[in-house]
Amino acid sequence: MSVAVVPIDVRSTGTLIEAIEVVYDFGETPALRGANVAIREGEILAVMGPSGSGKSTLLHCLAGILVPKLGEIRLSGERVDTLAESARSALRRDTFGFVFQFGQLVPELSAEENVALPLLLGGVRRNEALVRAREWFGRLGIDGLERRRSGELSGGQAQRVALARGLVAHPKVLFADEPTGSLDSLTGELVMELLVTAARQDGTTVVLVTHEPRVAAYADREVIVRDGQVTSLTPRDRAT
Amino acid sequence: MIRFGLRLSTRGGRESLVRLVVMALAVSVGVAMLLLTLGTINGLGKQNARGAWMATTPSVEVGYPNHGSPFSSATTSSTHSPIWWFISSQQFQSQLIVRVDVAATGPRALVTPGIPHLPGPGQFYASPALARLLRTTPAIELGNRFAGTEIGTIGSSALPSPNDLVIVIGQSARSLSKVSGAGEITSFVTSSSDGGPDTAGTTGLQTILAVLALVLFFPVLVFIGAAMRLSAARREQRLAAIRLAGATMRQVTVIAMVEALVAAIAGVAIGFCLYFITGPALVHVPFAGQPLEPGDLSIGVIDVMVAAIGVPLAAAVVARIALRRVHVSPLGTSRRVTPRPPRATRVIPLVVGIAELAYFVSVGRPGSSNGQIEGYVLGFFLIMFGLVLAGPWLTMQGSKIMARRTSRVSVLLAGRRLSDNPRGAFRAVSGLILAIFVTSVSVGVISTILTDHGSSSSNTLASKTVTDQFAFNPNNSVATVKPSVLSSIQSIRGVSGVTVVYVAPGAMKIDGPVPHINNLGGDLQYGVVSCAQLDKTPALGKCRAGASYAALGDDVAFMPITKSVTVAASTTWPNAHPTKGLTTLPVQLIAVATNGSASTIEDVETVLDRNFTFQGMTGLFGDIDAQKSQLLSELQTTSEVVILASLLIAGCSLAVAMAAGVSERRRPFSLMRLSGAPLGVLQRMVALETAGPLLVIAIASALTGFVASDLFLRSQLQLTLRPPGLSYYLIVGGGLFGALVMIASTLPLLDRATRPESARIE
Repeated sequence: MSVAVVPIDVRSTGTLIEAIEVVYDFGETPALRGANVAIREGEILAVMGPSGSGKSTLLHCLAGILVPKLGEIRLSGERVDTLAESARSALRRDTFGFVFQFGQLVPELSAEENVALPLLLGGVRRNEALVRAREWFGRLGIDGLERRRSGELSGGQAQRVALARGLVAHPKVLFADEPTGSLDSLTGELVMELLVTAARQDGTTVVLVTHEPRVAAYADREVIVRDGQVTSLTPRDRAT
Repeated sequence: MIRFGLRLSTRGGRESLVRLVVMALAVSVGVAMLLLTLGTINGLGKQNARGAWMATTPSVEVGYPNHGSPFSSATTSSTHSPIWWFISSQQFQSQLIVRVDVAATGPRALVTPGIPHLPGPGQFYASPALARLLRTTPAIELGNRFAGTEIGTIGSSALPSPNDLVIVIGQSARSLSKVSGAGEITSFVTSSSDGGPDTAGTTGLQTILAVLALVLFFPVLVFIGAAMRLSAARREQRLAAIRLAGATMRQVTVIAMVEALVAAIAGVAIGFCLYFITGPALVHVPFAGQPLEPGDLSIGVIDVMVAAIGVPLAAAVVARIALRRVHVSPLGTSRRVTPRPPRATRVIPLVVGIAELAYFVSVGRPGSSNGQIEGYVLGFFLIMFGLVLAGPWLTMQGSKIMARRTSRVSVLLAGRRLSDNPRGAFRAVSGLILAIFVTSVSVGVISTILTDHGSSSSNTLASKTVTDQFAFNPNNSVATVKPSVLSSIQSIRGVSGVTVVYVAPGAMKIDGPVPHINNLGGDLQYGVVSCAQLDKTPALGKCRAGASYAALGDDVAFMPITKSVTVAASTTWPNAHPTKGLTTLPVQLIAVATNGSASTIEDVETVLDRNFTFQGMTGLFGDIDAQKSQLLSELQTTSEVVILASLLIAGCSLAVAMAAGVSERRRPFSLMRLSGAPLGVLQRMVALETAGPLLVIAIASALTGFVASDLFLRSQLQLTLRPPGLSYYLIVGGGLFGALVMIASTLPLLDRATRPESARIE
């Protein structure tokens, strides 16, 4: 399945979410040491780096899952890190979407119910939520799988269902943590093409954590996290 | 591989250790409950064995209520000379007094347990509780019933409970040998199940209590099973990693069984400690109506073996079975395809069982006693088997309905979880279903019988009328009642009337049919009364206007202690025309109307007991006799204790099952929370999927129990189910509340296990 990827001009839009001098550690182990990154609205940013470099920690700080020990996280200029957990939960539910490497589908629910979950959590009526969820099956090429359980889906199918779930509530920002990490390269590419296309169509900002250059190539811009800092920018980024 | 499994279990890192400790603790609670149940059964056995001697009966044909049929005199041989023996029961303020009259026949006479030697004529031994009562109660109310001098107290080794009221009165062999129903005995019954008349109300109680205690085993075993399945998913993941390293399936199985064994052995050790710590408190629970003696609660070698060897073995088997349900391959674990959903055909035995009992109501029960026993046993067995069989199907249907239309995520998730694995969901409460059903049937039947027979506490005419019934069989009737006795009764303050019911001669003319109050059937003779007397004892009914004599129904005249009396009071009896004076007829019943005060009632009973010591049985009119009343009350108490215990055990099982369920779904749940799902959604979900089945099963099995008992009561006793008393609802409500508190106590685990940080760490 081939999907046309249409890049956007990121320079024409303002910063949507940014990390400023963010410090985070797991006890004795420092994860982020003054990390800075700014992501523009509608931009697809790839966060790369070796294992243990702090890239996932940066994503979790940006998404309000972890609260930085020092520094700031801002969304549309507003502080996120100072919000209470309940407010950050609401932000994650209403404004952000998530796609993880594996294991995110609730095994007891059908694929369409899994996709509808964020809508139901947001108070959308069941029938409407299911109708909106089913639209994504067509968009992501997984028609006919609506009633299947996660155990009856292949890895690629499950990841597309997860992608649909991440996007169904039209989040402002989609955080994807190694979304193709458990897939073979062909399936991974397919998922990435779908992710990027859907995000472009909806104008969704994407923060994509990956250690695979092929996956990162789908992004508008790449940053590299090394030793807890966003230490280098890609040539493409520097060119902007 | 065993050594490797041991090392893996005990030194496999913090997570392994925590899992081991949690499993061991859960098993220890189950083992402690198992030991307490076994200890209680043993305690009840000891309690009954101490009172078994009171079930001794001479081998004579008698017609008195307490001696309805001949029984073997004793179960042990004796070298002592025989003694004359007569045992009867009385009531004092709703308490049962067991009276044993004895007389030696020689110098080396048999001595009743608990006393140093037989009391001579004019002497008696009383149990400590009765001795206290005799000292603190006016003699006219109690002491005058027992002529003689107290020469000592009966030792605790001969009393089921310290609160029992027992008296052993010495008589002369000559006087006692003339008493109908008395006879010689050469030894005492040593087991209550070997005896016959059950004057102390213990025969059969142990068996019934054992059945109720056995009912508790199911929830306990289910709980231990649930404990052994804790963290199954995490364990399976680790086993897959070991498979990946080259272990065979057989080796993986050994490792899993070793881990289960280690946890179970540790749990058994802690469980024994818990048993010894909590046991002493249990002796105060009046399982059989009276508390146990401190030393009664004990476990035998077999009990120890069951817990110490049986539980670890069962744990190993559970671990083996659990592994069969999943496929542990080197590439990871995967749950086998969702098992085929339970079919509707599972409801058939339940429906057939209820239909059989309903058939007995609409068409009629079997004619013979054996047919009735077989019919009811089959019906109740089908219902119990049907409940267990239908449980998963009912769970699935209920959860499907729950999840079908809801827009609430918590309801959707809980419903899907339950309908996905209804057998698993039902398993945690399957022990409860039998316990609640059995105890609800027992409570339903007992409370209906007790209500139907009236109660001395209710302020009715019957509760103010004392009767002395001389026999079921008119042939054992008292020939005459001295006028001095009647006048001494009438002189008691608070007595408003005395009626003597005589046995009606067969040829007596009666104007019209005599109403049947109880529909008990049978062919007993009618009674005949003077209307002048009957007018003053309205509890027995009334004469037609202007009549001199009335014919009383056989069931009121001869069996007033066994049936509803409210109907009797409103009955107008037909005129009777005796051909000779009533005083020449044998007497069957004396009824005394009082003002209802306790002292007047006791005074009247004392005069009656004193004058008709070996002939009558006194009690309030229509009040079920003391022995049956006490037995039924004890069974009701025990049933309620079993209900409470089984609900609490089910709460433990569900709490453990919930912890296991959270552990299994930790990742998707923590990712849901990470994505913004409020903790409350997950809390409501697990509460629904655990508390939901508990509440539904408890209510469904209680309702089924009441339906079954109603059908039984209608077909067998022509009674309609009466709602149980407030204590039942309080016990059930309290038990459910306790179970819900236990479930709620595990909710913080959900919070900790699904925090976004934990998803990050995974």
